Amino acid sequence: MDELILNLKKEIIEVLNLEDVKPEDIIDDAPLFGEGLGLDSIDALELIVLMEKNYGIKLKDPAQGKEVFRSIRVMADYIQTNRTK
Amino acid sequence: MAKEVYLWATRQISVQSPLREDWMDDPLYYTEPYVRSIDPDYKQYFPPNTIRRLGKILKRALLTSHRVMEETGVTHPDAIITATGLGCVENTEIFLDALVREGEALLKPTHFMQSTHNTISSLIAIDVHCHGYNTTYAHKGISFECALLDAFLQLKNEQIATALVGAHDEMTPNCFVLLKRTGYLGHSGNGFSGETAVNMLLGGQWRENALCRLREVAFLYRPGKGDLQQSLEHLLQQSHCCLEDIDAVMIGNNGREENDRIYRENCPILFPGKKLLRYKHLFGESYTASGLGVHAAAVCLRQQRIPAHLFINAGNGEQQGVKHILFYNQFENKNHSFILLSACGK
Repeated sequence: MDELILNLKKEIIEVLNLEDVKPEDIIDDAPLFGEGLGLDSIDALELIVLMEKNYGIKLKDPAQGKEVFRSIRVMADYIQTNRTK
Repeated sequence: MAKEVYLWATRQISVQSPLREDWMDDPLYYTEPYVRSIDPDYKQYFPPNTIRRLGKILKRALLTSHRVMEETGVTHPDAIITATGLGCVENTEIFLDALVREGEALLKPTHFMQSTHNTISSLIAIDVHCHGYNTTYAHKGISFECALLDAFLQLKNEQIATALVGAHDEMTPNCFVLLKRTGYLGHSGNGFSGETAVNMLLGGQWRENALCRLREVAFLYRPGKGDLQQSLEHLLQQSHCCLEDIDAVMIGNNGREENDRIYRENCPILFPGKKLLRYKHLFGESYTASGLGVHAAAVCLRQQRIPAHLFINAGNGEQQGVKHILFYNQFENKNHSFILLSACGK
């Protein structure tokens, strides 16, 4: 799980161009949107593409996305349970 | 009576020192055929989160627009008008490359959103919350002249009081290779390929620190025999000027024979005995390079001097006391344009 969380942080930093952020700066349980990393709706679309591309997970329900992207730990849990690659 | 039009401020990011006019006294010269702009450290000007998604062309456009708005105190220009030959081509390439490699299903939204020509103008509008007139001209080598004419006419007719006019083009390695194949850039003996990012704030009122007056803009498509002469005479008449008043004519020589031949043929007829100026030896060639040419002419008028290195055919030294510069540009001998700029008297 720790390895998945670290990889996920690295992928998010790369995909969202978070140039000044290091994996250790992202707190596992901190909110990704609003506070915390301060991501926005375009970032949510980027994360949906990342989930499908890297883990084979298709998120179709926006409400589900809101829950899944609550924090890095929640995202990693969801990936571990639902990944197809 | 129609209003006069003034150029209040202008800022550039190019292959010369960014946001500064060091090129007047200490220009950078290049021998390579392909040169990219010198980017400032954008983090000094914007919070990282604001610009992390933006490509180079968008960062340059945003910063130059911020600077001219700050310098003039205009927070919401009435019009934002952008000229670009190739648009956000770097993001377009990334987007198309992903489309080819991965199909349509997994495309990144950011690259898609920022791959259009009008992203530049709309980004500035969103950034400054400007809900006014917003237009992009993507007409190859005449894009900037179209944008400038649009602003000029609206200001002249008092439809607007201020306009932000920009000229923006980036040159990716792929684009350079493709344009080299067409013969437009990059051949032995030619000048170099550069990139353009310039924003100008134009207003309908005189200001103490304005750079110059924009007197007239005119362009012609495939002019016939005598049409250029007639258009020039009309432009001078409209401006209550005569050819003798013009201190120098700035032209778009770039070292490419097909391009320079047109100037060589037309200039002695149109402007006999006039001093000719160049700017592409400093800023390079791009579809909207004429925006940097007008920027250079405006800076010369503001400083009341033309540095020696701009002259093509006359003068070993700097010329002082400059009052009128005529800008003559042509693209592929199809589109010809004249822009008359004058020093800023009240």
